[in-house]
Amino acid sequence: MGSGERKYKTNDITVYWKPSTCIHAGACINGLPRVFNPRRRPWIKLEESVTARIIEVVDKCPVDALTWKWNDEEKNQIVGTEHPNHIKNRRISLLENDDIETSNSASIQTMNNGPLIVKGGFLLERENGSRSKFSGTVSLCRCGASKLKPFCDGSHRAIDFKA
Amino acid sequence: MKENKKAPVITIIESGPLKVSGSFTLLNENNYPIEAKSEVYLCRCGKSSNKPFCDGSHRNQ
Repeated sequence: MGSGERKYKTNDITVYWKPSTCIHAGACINGLPRVFNPRRRPWIKLEESVTARIIEVVDKCPVDALTWKWNDEEKNQIVGTEHPNHIKNRRISLLENDDIETSNSASIQTMNNGPLIVKGGFLLERENGSRSKFSGTVSLCRCGASKLKPFCDGSHRAIDFKA
Repeated sequence: MKENKKAPVITIIESGPLKVSGSFTLLNENNYPIEAKSEVYLCRCGKSSNKPFCDGSHRNQ
């Protein structure tokens, strides 16, 4: 799976979140603001509503950023096109393998008043053109005060960086 | 799942921003995606008025 992907489970269903294809149409956050709240972490809390409503709203996502399945495999078999965002109709490969632990593309996350956190593999190219490979998690300075540039050394706290 | 995406390149521009190109997802602190092109310039001087993107403010330092 790509970076930042998540799955969320209730007893009945699993909802899959794929941030790389989100086009900010807002069907989720407007349809069920208590469940889908990007200002909160985790931003999806399925326990805030009921299965039928969650399915209804996930089915309204115009892309495959939000998809879902029943946890009962027999129920998945009888789902048809009435549920456009069931994984059978949008992301059929998830039916066979929905392991979200393997990630092979990078994400860059801005931390509140802090650095950029890069997760996944990337190449870092220095001012002199030399390139080095990185994987795992790396923090890059974005406050301008680090003595270990381009990496974060925690100086954003000393200068009270706001971002 | 097989996604054969090219790893992004993060280029450090001297006395300037970070240039990011390739396949990556830009996320805010709540893990929510920030709309971005496939090539972006990210502020690393702390002065941009358009964070996380560069707006050229580093030149005024």
